[in-house]
Amino acid sequence: MIAASALFALAAASAPANLCTLCHPDVRVEFERSIHATEQVTCVSCHGGDQSASTVEAAHRGKFRGRIRRRDQPALCATCHSDAEQMSPYNLPTGQYALYQTSQHGRALAKGDENAAVCTDCHGVHEILRSDDARSSVYAANIPETCGRCHSDSALMSRYGLSGDPHADFIEGSHGRALLERMDASAPGCARCHGAHGATPPGVGDINKVCGQCHTRTRAYFVESPHKRAMDEAGLPECASCHGNHRIVKADVAALGTVCLECHDPGSAQAELAVQMQTLYLVASEDLESARRLVEEAAAIPLYIEDYLARLEEGSTSLVESQPAMHSVDLATVERLTGRARSIGHEVESELRGKLEGRKWRRVGLVVFWFYLLVTLGALIRFRSRAAREIET
Amino acid sequence: MGRRAGSKTRSLTGWLEERLNLTEMFSFLTNFGLFPAELDTRRPLREAVSEALSRPMPSYARWPRVLGILSVLLFLFLGVTGVMLAFYYQPTPSEAYDSVTAIVRDVSFGWFVHQIHGWAADAFLLVLLVRGWRLYFQGLYKPPRELLWMVAVVTFLAATHADLTGRLLGWNAAGYWSSVRAVDMLYSLPFLGPMFSFVVGGHHVDSLVLLRFYFLHVAVLPGLLCALFFLHFSGVRRVGLSHAPHDKPSGPGLFRVYLFNLLILTVLVFGTLVTLATVVPEAFHSVADPFSTPPGARAPWYLLASHGFLESFPAFVPRWLRGLLLESILAVSILLPFIDRSQGRTARQRRLAIPAGLVVLVLWLLFTWIGYRMEMVP
Repeated sequence: MIAASALFALAAASAPANLCTLCHPDVRVEFERSIHATEQVTCVSCHGGDQSASTVEAAHRGKFRGRIRRRDQPALCATCHSDAEQMSPYNLPTGQYALYQTSQHGRALAKGDENAAVCTDCHGVHEILRSDDARSSVYAANIPETCGRCHSDSALMSRYGLSGDPHADFIEGSHGRALLERMDASAPGCARCHGAHGATPPGVGDINKVCGQCHTRTRAYFVESPHKRAMDEAGLPECASCHGNHRIVKADVAALGTVCLECHDPGSAQAELAVQMQTLYLVASEDLESARRLVEEAAAIPLYIEDYLARLEEGSTSLVESQPAMHSVDLATVERLTGRARSIGHEVESELRGKLEGRKWRRVGLVVFWFYLLVTLGALIRFRSRAAREIET
Repeated sequence: MGRRAGSKTRSLTGWLEERLNLTEMFSFLTNFGLFPAELDTRRPLREAVSEALSRPMPSYARWPRVLGILSVLLFLFLGVTGVMLAFYYQPTPSEAYDSVTAIVRDVSFGWFVHQIHGWAADAFLLVLLVRGWRLYFQGLYKPPRELLWMVAVVTFLAATHADLTGRLLGWNAAGYWSSVRAVDMLYSLPFLGPMFSFVVGGHHVDSLVLLRFYFLHVAVLPGLLCALFFLHFSGVRRVGLSHAPHDKPSGPGLFRVYLFNLLILTVLVFGTLVTLATVVPEAFHSVADPFSTPPGARAPWYLLASHGFLESFPAFVPRWLRGLLLESILAVSILLPFIDRSQGRTARQRRLAIPAGLVVLVLWLLFTWIGYRMEMVP
């Protein structure tokens, strides 16, 4: 009795009653997990009808929409999500629908292609979660799989003249490994390069801008280089020509030996330049590494190493900078940066060697110490035997 | 000139003698190993000493009697270097490691003092251990030397505690994890475990444990060791120096020779410590991290056997029973003079004791090896 009245009191408190879930309990389970459930969004917000009615006919009356048609769906979501006034408490952007209409997906839908992705394909239907919720299909680390649901379907993609498996390529590339294996949230998923709501493949001439969003120094060096103009004229994709697109090849100096030869002849001045840049980098890197080993040796003694660590950091910065600088294909620039790294490595090493050599004087001190010790011992033994003789006599 | 200086000294001694009982004071000091015979404290110092010297006395700064005075010498080195280290050391987890780093790196000859302290500690324990075995195999725990034996065992135990507490002070990974293992072991001992937890006040090695270890290391344990040395040497003065069964007693007046032996020994000990500190310096470990156990972390060498012993039992033997066994071994070794009551001291007369001692020694080495192989698993 008490329990019943408590239930009644609860039901009365959570007005108005949502009776849709009497017939759709499975939807209710999904919906109540969603971010919408905690806001003032209910079944009728999207589907229309009367949620307080207790018969099917009464509930499905009025502006009842039933199952939402795919082509109507983006506009329906936009009724709230494009309304700046409604979104402002959540600090959410309102331009998604406008962006969507410019996207490949939006344009295909406008042409009546119902295969084009709509909001629910990526965000889910009833169980919509915040994008920073790790369970969400649009969480950074889940986006490649979400996009891959359609873009790795070769039968579906062949209708649009798209081939390959960008999802499989992506997870093998260095961006994919960073995002999915190292869980590095700063690594890009699909949307960082292609856009999210306005998803469009970047044009050939725009690739350096897209990549340059993160690789700013590399872009700055690249646009100065003769490659930029030559590639524009030949209609070659800029960064992707050497690094690939979805399966991004880790930018490694070892690649200089092979990647350049894809366009330039072996033995050409350009191939020679690649080898020169590679050598400059490797030598500087080895010099810094050997200085670092010496610093570790000194740290174990212990000697003061804080200053050397700071200088090694400075050297590493120059060495790291030399990699984007190689995109300028200007030997002098690369030489300046690697030279700086080398000179710091040499400086640290020679200073530390001096300090470590200085410690060898301790051994010399030990020899002198033992000389005096033996003299003392000799004297003591002499005194002792004199004392022993005196006792005998 | 010489006569005037001599008379001046005499008069100074005389002047002091009228005001202080110099013989009493000298007698107290010699209880720490300087003088191996009893003094008549009612007589003036000079007379008392020459009277004592006229009695026959074996020179004992020689093998194997040297081990006793050697341990005192090493203790003196530990005391002097310890005081020097204490001028810079700060016993808190946040400061300890940095202060030791500062001693080793920044203070002039700090590395030297630190190394001497470390090597002297190892040598001190080793000498006490070897001395214990010598006393056992030469039957030097038999009447009237029962107390000397018990003091020797307790001195070794106190020294291991001094070493263990010292290992933590540097707050480096090796010392920290040694302490963790030792604390774990102590807690598996019935009676002694609860006593230990009362003294140290916690299962976790934290700032208060560091502070308490520090205080034990710099005050309580050195004080205890001093008291034990005092007990030992006053016992020696009463029952006489140890001698092997076939030893010939030496003539009188050998004290001066003995003093020279002592000086030679001091010089040799100092030379050895300096050489070790310079040529094979002990490693400087990285800072302690309670959340990561470095590879190779294990109990200190003198605890390896006990640890190996505790862990070698099959799982159904409860820990308290293993601990109880360990404690009974400890009790037997302290009370040995009252268990082995036979009189003979030659190997022929000790047909049971010598083989038993050898078996225990081999077992100790075996369990040390087993304990060494039990590295801590992070």
